[in-house]
Amino acid sequence: MNEGAYVQEIFGIPFNISNDLPGLLAAIIVFFTMFWLSRKIQLKPTGRQNVLEWIIDFTNGIIKSTMPNKEGSQFGLLIFTLFSFIFVSNQLGLMLQVNVNNTAYIKSPTADAMTTMTLAFMVLLFAHFLGVKKFGFRGYIKNTYLSPIPFLLPISILEEFTNFLTLALRLYGNIYSGEVLLKLIYEFGRSFGLASFIPAIPLEIIWQGFSVFIGSIQAYVFVTLTMVYISQKIEKE
Amino acid sequence: MGTDFILGAVATSVKWGDMLFYLVLFIVLIALLKHFAWGPVNEMMDKRANKIANDIDSAEDARQKAEDLAEKRQSALKESHVEASQIIERAKKNGEQQKNIIVENAHSEAQSFKETAKQDIARERQDALEGVKNDVAELSLEIASKVISKNLQLDDQKALIDSYIEGLGKQNEVK
Repeated sequence: MNEGAYVQEIFGIPFNISNDLPGLLAAIIVFFTMFWLSRKIQLKPTGRQNVLEWIIDFTNGIIKSTMPNKEGSQFGLLIFTLFSFIFVSNQLGLMLQVNVNNTAYIKSPTADAMTTMTLAFMVLLFAHFLGVKKFGFRGYIKNTYLSPIPFLLPISILEEFTNFLTLALRLYGNIYSGEVLLKLIYEFGRSFGLASFIPAIPLEIIWQGFSVFIGSIQAYVFVTLTMVYISQKIEKE
Repeated sequence: MGTDFILGAVATSVKWGDMLFYLVLFIVLIALLKHFAWGPVNEMMDKRANKIANDIDSAEDARQKAEDLAEKRQSALKESHVEASQIIERAKKNGEQQKNIIVENAHSEAQSFKETAKQDIARERQDALEGVKNDVAELSLEIASKVISKNLQLDDQKALIDSYIEGLGKQNEVK
């Protein structure tokens, strides 16, 4: 569990390669899947195009549930990319774990708090940016921190931090704990030879299936909350 | 990992390069997906939505047009019915008129034929009578001259004879 991380400094910036590599892999998988699905686009959709359009309809549905008006449609691409990237990231570690000399090279990128915090930081910054853009800086302050009642200002400010932490740590916690338990079951299967290996197989399968479910739910929750935070910033309360 | 990341307590061991890496990675992923998958598919979905809307509109149009056409045809049919009955009516009237004219013509022609025939007969009879009158006059004269052996002047006696013959004629007609 406590594998060492392979850290490389490039221009004095510390890069955790055992976190970056799976992220790159997930991005590549997402890109090539979508690329493959979007070949031969026709007016009358067939086969792969139907799958892609179903995914797009699904993510657009998430947007519509929080922002039913026309304004929401501009976030379609962001939510689509965010959902597919997090979904693939969550499932990646369930299927593929590569450890070399106790150093992880392939796992779920979202099982690292750095990744989920980056994503959460990015979408929340984007939400604040949209708020400022729409209402101006004064309007943004008023809308976000001073309404409905000004004396809740400290709580409003605190809420922004908790939003960030909960959004990031919820995803991280779910996926990380899933992987920890997967490894625990793996260790258990190894420890007593055949006597523990055989019962470990169905346990591992069941936990993997459950983790697939959790990973999907968490991807959905993450993008739904992203939309909620964005709509809070750009809609007058 | 463990406690490293919590509020940056141990700032130096935070691998903040990852943040840059994921930021760049995500933005690049968005750009690529937009160009290769999202853009074309969304465009096609919009196009499809437009096409469906257009198709619905044009179907409505076509239905309206067909309805108009049917109505027009119906009225034309009605009109042609009326016209046909008018034509038949007129033809009947014309026929009647023609018939009347022909019959009238025939009548008048027959009448005139009869008239001329009558006149002819009358004249012929008159001529015949005249001829007979003359003959009778001459004959009576001859007979009389022979009977009384006296040379009677034809012109002097003619009036007498004429009246006599007239009386004969009248006697005949009475008979």
